[in-house]
Formats: sequence, C-alpha cells, structure tokens
Amino acid sequence: MANLKEIKRKIGSVKNTQKTTNAMKLVSSAKLKRTEELAKRSRVYASKLTELLNEIAAKMQQANAEGIDNVYFKDIENPKKVDIIFITADKGLCGGFNSQTIKRATKLIEEFKAKDVKVRLRAVGRKGIDFFKFNGIELNDEIIGLSAAPDFKKASEFISEVADSYVHGDTDKIILIHNGYVNMITQEVREDQLLPVDTSMLELNSVSTSELEVEPDDDDTLLDALVKRYVEYTMYYSLIDSLAAEHSARMQAMDAATTNAKEMVKELTVKYNKARQESITTELIEIISGMESMK
Amino acid sequence: MELMKLEIITPNGMIFDGEVKQVNLPGSEGEFGVLAGHATLVSLLDTGVIVIDKEDGNELAVAINSGYVKVEEEKTTCIVDGAVALSGDDGELSKALEDAKELLKSTEASNSAIASAVSKVEQIGKSF
Repeated sequence: MANLKEIKRKIGSVKNTQKTTNAMKLVSSAKLKRTEELAKRSRVYASKLTELLNEIAAKMQQANAEGIDNVYFKDIENPKKVDIIFITADKGLCGGFNSQTIKRATKLIEEFKAKDVKVRLRAVGRKGIDFFKFNGIELNDEIIGLSAAPDFKKASEFISEVADSYVHGDTDKIILIHNGYVNMITQEVREDQLLPVDTSMLELNSVSTSELEVEPDDDDTLLDALVKRYVEYTMYYSLIDSLAAEHSARMQAMDAATTNAKEMVKELTVKYNKARQESITTELIEIISGMESMK
Repeated sequence: MELMKLEIITPNGMIFDGEVKQVNLPGSEGEFGVLAGHATLVSLLDTGVIVIDKEDGNELAVAINSGYVKVEEEKTTCIVDGAVALSGDDGELSKALEDAKELLKSTEASNSAIASAVSKVEQIGKSF
C-alpha cells in the first residue's frame, strides 16, 4: 500500500514540474517573438551602416594604393595581445546554449595561449562569468544584466572602453563570441573580429565611388566616427541576436522537458495501476484463503 | 517637380520611407538642402531637425541626435542614432514634441546647437 501512495505522490510532483516547464516555454516563446521583431528592425540599420562603411573604406583604398591608413584598419599578422568578449545568458535552463559559447571561448583561449598570445577576457552575462570564476580564470571585465535586456547606451559604454584600449595599443585584436539565432530550433556560435575592421568582409572593389564627396572634408574624421558606431552597433546587435537565441534555446529545452514529463506521467500511471491491481489481487487471495480455512 | 527617395533609419526601425521633394539636413559643417539629382555625398549629421518636404506638399520635421547621411542622385539615406518624428494629431504631437526635446537635450552636442534645435522644435509645435 505504501508503494501506491508513493507513486501517486510522484505523479503529482511530475505533473507540477510539467506545468512549470510548459509555462516557461510559453513565456520564452512570447519573449522570442518580441526579440525577433527587435532584431529584424535593427538589422536594417546594421546593413545600411555596413554599406556606408564599405563605401568610405573603398574610397580610401582607391585613393591610397598601400591600403587604408587608419588605426582601425591596421591588420597585424601576429597579434601579441587579444581581447575576447563573449556573451552568455544571465539565466540557465536553456539547454546547451551557454556551454556552447563557453566551450568555443575556452578553445579560442587555448589556441591563442599555444601561440603565446596574451589574452584578456571580457564577459557579458552571469553564466559565463560564473564559469570562468569557478575555474579560477581571471576576467578583465564583466557585466551582468546586459544580455537579458540589451541597451544600446550600456552596450556602447562597455564596448567603447575596449575600443579605446585598442586605439591606445593595449590590444591588437578584439574578438566577439556569441551564440546567435538562426531559426526557432537552431542556434549557431558566431565569432566576429570586431577590430581591426575585417577588410575581407568588406567588398572593397565592388563599388565605384570616385565621385563621392565627403563632409567634413577630412576622411579620417568620418571614418573614425563611422567605425566607432559600427563597433558599438555590432556589439548591440550581437546582444540582441544572443537574446533571441537564448529564448529559442530555452523554448526548445522547456518543450523537451514538458514532453519528457508527459512521458514520465504515463509510465508512472501504468505503474500505479499495476500496483493497484496487484494489491486488490492480494487482498482477494487473502479473503478467499481465509474463507477456505474456515470451512 | 522631380522626386527622390528618402529613408531615415534608426536602431529601432525605419522612421521615414517615401518619396520627397526636398530635405533639409543638419550637417556637421552646416545645414544643407538636398533635391533630386544631388551629387553623391556622405556627411556627418549633428544634433538638429531634419525638415522633409513631402510629395503631397506637407512638411514633416524629424528631430535627431546624431548620425550620417548618404546622398545619391535618386536616393538619400539617413542613418541616425535617435529620431523623433513630429507628426500625428494633437495628443500624439505634444508627446512627440516632449520626446523630441528630451532627445535633443540628451546629446553631447554644444549648448548652442541644442538650443537652436530645441527652439526649432518649439516653433514647429506652434505652427500646427
């Protein structure tokens, strides 16, 4: 009889879990929709900004045969100091979302260490911070709360500091890692080189801009401002992208959890019924054998 | 009159997308107007007000904090950080005016630039 009660209690608890995971899934799907909308709107801005940067860079390259003479475009072949920024979520319960980013970051750090490159880590999001702190790896900078609610101002403050240290020569390269959104069921870890601007990404020769006038007349002023904005915006966009991916990952994880809970309830119910029948049979046998002995 | 395409894009989406007759922009080297067929130009934009002369003859003002503009012969694209369009009926308009003033004041531009932009916004508010 104790077994029966035990199973019944278990069923109740699994059902409760199922309700929670189902609710979390619904919340995530609602949030995902909102984040997706935000991402869609900012994508237009991002593409236009890149387009403009592309054109200015192309113009400068055409004017100068030796490439672009600007601090943001200096590509050093063997960087000695690298900054890695990585974005994780503040919360868990989203499957392998955070561990994927962390794994990629760890791999990259090892690669750089093997080449004797000094690496500075900058973490966004509680999960990544916790992981590296637990493993005793020092973080240069950390920020919590930004990955759950991307804010352009905060993001640009965060990234400006990194960009400044690049301009001052404290770092040769800035890499941004985040887990990006592909669709409802897929996320993909993305690794972008933030600075120096990756010229291979720009289609420098595809545009003819010989007649492009620039105001203020000094190309560098405009380019500097543009690159700065580009860096800030890439950071901001990555945050949104990461948030969308987080929600989709959580949705998936919670969906799987709900399905598993359903399965478990089914199994437990069968077990419960079996136990119930068993106990009835035992009781019957007891009664019958009792009557038998009375004869 | 010849028309050209104008787009005003902010991180939060498109503020304006349509055919216009003329647009006045607060460039970093001074205000300038653009008509269809303008030579290609890229310019920084300062804190100020973009005044759009729309296809139907009406004017639309958009307050911006800072950004860039790319002018091509048939198309002008403004990429700005923050923008508030001064449009809508009475209730919406007064709210838009407040938002615009706040946006202008929050920038790092010089005081005189902000003051002139704010007064422009106020003027537009009165003319409605």
